[in-house]
Amino acid sequence: MSADKERLDRAIIAIRVAKELPAGSCVNLGIGIPTLVSMFVDDESVVFYHSESGVLNCGPLAEEGSEDIDLINAGGQFLQPVPGMAYFSSVDAFAMIRGGHVDVTVLGAHQVSATGDLANWMLPERGVGNIGGAMDLAAGADKVIVAMEHNDRNGNPKVVQECDFPLTGRGCVSLIVTDVAVMEPTPDGMVLREAAPGWTPEEVQGVTGARLIIPDSVAEYEV
Amino acid sequence: MTLARLDAQSVARRASAEVAPGSVVAVSGDWSTAVADLVPAEKGVWFLRAGGTLSDLPISAADAGAVLRGGNVDLSILQAAQVDSNGSFAGYHAADYPGPQGHAGLIDLAGARRVVTVLPHTDADGSPNIVNSLTLPPDGVRCVDTIITDVAVFRVADTGLILTELAPGWSAEDVRTITGAAVTSAPTLREMDFALPPGNPTSKIYADGPSAIADLPDGATVFIDGFGGPGGMAHYLLISLRDRGSRNLTIVSNTAGIARVVSFGTPPGHTAIDHSVLVENGQVAKAIASFPVSPSVSRPSEFELAYRRGEVDLELVPQGTLAERLRAGGAGIEAFYTPTGAGTLIAEGKESRVIDGREYILEHGLRADFALIRAHRADTRGNLVYRGTSRNFNAVMAPGARVTVVEVDEIVQPGELDPEAVVTPGIFVQRIVRRPDGFTGYE
Amino acid sequence: MAFSKLYDSAAAAVADIPNGATVLLGGVSGANAPTALVSALADRNVRDLTCVCDSTYYGAEALHRLVAAGCVSRIISPAPFGSGKDDMVHELWRSGDLTVEVVPWGTLAERMRSAGAGIGGVFLPVGIGTRFAEGKEIRVVNGVECMFEPPLRGDFALIRAARADGVGNLVYVGAQRGWNSAVVSAARVAVAEVDQVVEPGSIDPELVITPGIFVNRIVRANSAPIG
Repeated sequence: MSADKERLDRAIIAIRVAKELPAGSCVNLGIGIPTLVSMFVDDESVVFYHSESGVLNCGPLAEEGSEDIDLINAGGQFLQPVPGMAYFSSVDAFAMIRGGHVDVTVLGAHQVSATGDLANWMLPERGVGNIGGAMDLAAGADKVIVAMEHNDRNGNPKVVQECDFPLTGRGCVSLIVTDVAVMEPTPDGMVLREAAPGWTPEEVQGVTGARLIIPDSVAEYEV
Repeated sequence: MTLARLDAQSVARRASAEVAPGSVVAVSGDWSTAVADLVPAEKGVWFLRAGGTLSDLPISAADAGAVLRGGNVDLSILQAAQVDSNGSFAGYHAADYPGPQGHAGLIDLAGARRVVTVLPHTDADGSPNIVNSLTLPPDGVRCVDTIITDVAVFRVADTGLILTELAPGWSAEDVRTITGAAVTSAPTLREMDFALPPGNPTSKIYADGPSAIADLPDGATVFIDGFGGPGGMAHYLLISLRDRGSRNLTIVSNTAGIARVVSFGTPPGHTAIDHSVLVENGQVAKAIASFPVSPSVSRPSEFELAYRRGEVDLELVPQGTLAERLRAGGAGIEAFYTPTGAGTLIAEGKESRVIDGREYILEHGLRADFALIRAHRADTRGNLVYRGTSRNFNAVMAPGARVTVVEVDEIVQPGELDPEAVVTPGIFVQRIVRRPDGFTGYE
Repeated sequence: MAFSKLYDSAAAAVADIPNGATVLLGGVSGANAPTALVSALADRNVRDLTCVCDSTYYGAEALHRLVAAGCVSRIISPAPFGSGKDDMVHELWRSGDLTVEVVPWGTLAERMRSAGAGIGGVFLPVGIGTRFAEGKEIRVVNGVECMFEPPLRGDFALIRAARADGVGNLVYVGAQRGWNSAVVSAARVAVAEVDQVVEPGSIDPELVITPGIFVNRIVRANSAPIG
């Protein structure tokens, strides 16, 4: 029963996503698994981190005891000051995002559809939610990567044929990296690119809501 | 006998008499830019030049255009080639510059609240420059309020031109004979007065928070800055507003108060003051926000509880759209298309448009009665610098409110802030309050 | 090899600007002008460029060289002609060798800001009733008569700044900020000519005017004479 098979841990998801960040690119990381990605980018790549709190080229989190309320990331975490930062207002922060200057954003999601629709701002049962910067990132970043667990805590698939949660953006997701697989939404449907070690394509399909397009060769998850 | 006409310098002196202390004045053309040198610094006047300076502050061309459109310029003094009796004018370039459209240097400046043109009364061959109807292409239509020439001053009224002042030695009849439009003499017609308006600008410094918002009315729309945490949040003004008790407020802000319940951006061991103080005091009718509720379902904020009780309305706006709507409100942009939210709930009821193959939705500018913002330092003219990521929405909100009140750590004298470092020019700040010693922003 | 934005020469930094490109110029004269970059472009003898600039006169030597070399087929500017009748741009326009489009400067700056900020266009109240409203979509928004102004995007922006750090953060001096900072975000590739390149950390993050995200290439200004 594939649902019980061993899944990759969050750090492995982050390592896999880190491989998608080209040298010299500008990257915005969302809250949760996406935040872990920066730990696994090698120094040679010179990735520039953007935070919609109004700082570019930001560095690691501040150590306990040296928190500065005037230096936070979009998740409200405290940052260390590092050389090469620039501060700017919220309007400039989002001009960078919408204007296509942020090359890659890595976001979490509640659901992603077969054609790359993203739902990550509201759980319908709550009736109210926070959009924050998610819709701008979905609309503006050149490449939107979703990093998430393959199924929610009740086992429901998060990769679905059609989203039934309120959308953040249509057709905006370029790649999905989960604890089970790497998938690419396309206009024709969801293509399975890589499966976690020990998983067959059919087992991945078994825990996935979207109909997977399975190419002749599905690589093993590269880490 | 030929009557003496004023020289360019004297016309500029007469134009300087239109400049109120503390006002914001856009200038273009030699006769006009000379005005800036005639107004002493203690008058606190801001001069905007198209090249990208606002008095001693360098600003980008995009910001200069925004200042002009955004209703923050009190007066444009423009050198014209021709003005007509409807108050339309052609700029001083009009006759000299070739091409189908000539020169566009004055188009933006014509949008100021008040427009004064300066020009020679007649051109080199003696033909009148004040006419019934322009023969040159207009740079501004029905926008001129006052005309100052080298022989007279006119007010542009709905009924036509009113002659209000004469150069020394000139009679109304002398002026009429060289004017190409019908002119009525004002009952108060007098010799030209070159004196600067008396007085100095009123101080922007307020003694405390309550006095700075003493006239914030019920029903007001209020911009409240902050990204979500205590950094960049005007806690002292927030408490002052709670104590004043203004009700039925629409608050425009990134969050509607989350720091208190989830410690967003808050150092360990502290509880931050946030919008909740207004919500629990029953003062908020509506929030326009991008992150209105707690990220934790199990720790709901005051706003979410009030929302579930049906006591407050919510307009949910994506964060970048919120920032852009705030900028638009302050930059004289009535509406704009953004791709953000196309195809989602946010797009419902909004015009959508496909531009270059991509779907956009129409969003409108936001303005407010008051903005309560937070900066690190201000000089007495209202120029502001911020600290780190606490710049966030503060710098965006300042231009779009009728009254912007800033809470700062320190107030310094003009000249003490490096002009290259000023983020918010003082023209956008009406009131300054220093955060009291010992006030932390924590409960 | 580690990623770097620093180029060895102006020529290398403009080597891939193709015929037909739209080039946004941050300034045209004195300390406002990316003189080395524009001169290097003129040396390349490219054709059919559209140049967007704030004006074309008052010491615009490098731009004039570009125009005289026949590289430019179109100019978009609030002030494309000098007032002198012997103006080169004027003559080329009269002879039909140059297309000229006049745009009010605040509108021009806003159109470039839209391009850089991912905005699909704006409704502005500027120029209603004048020749600049002809042929435009006019609409009353919030009771204000406005015209639609679409984004203006460049393929390249050539700008001048005082200092850059290695990651492309820029500071300007005085009025240099005006147009240089307004055009930099609107192009696919922004090239900055700077007087000084400093180590990351040497520029106070509060003082950065153009964050490095907008800057793709950096060249040290050389003081080579023009002509």
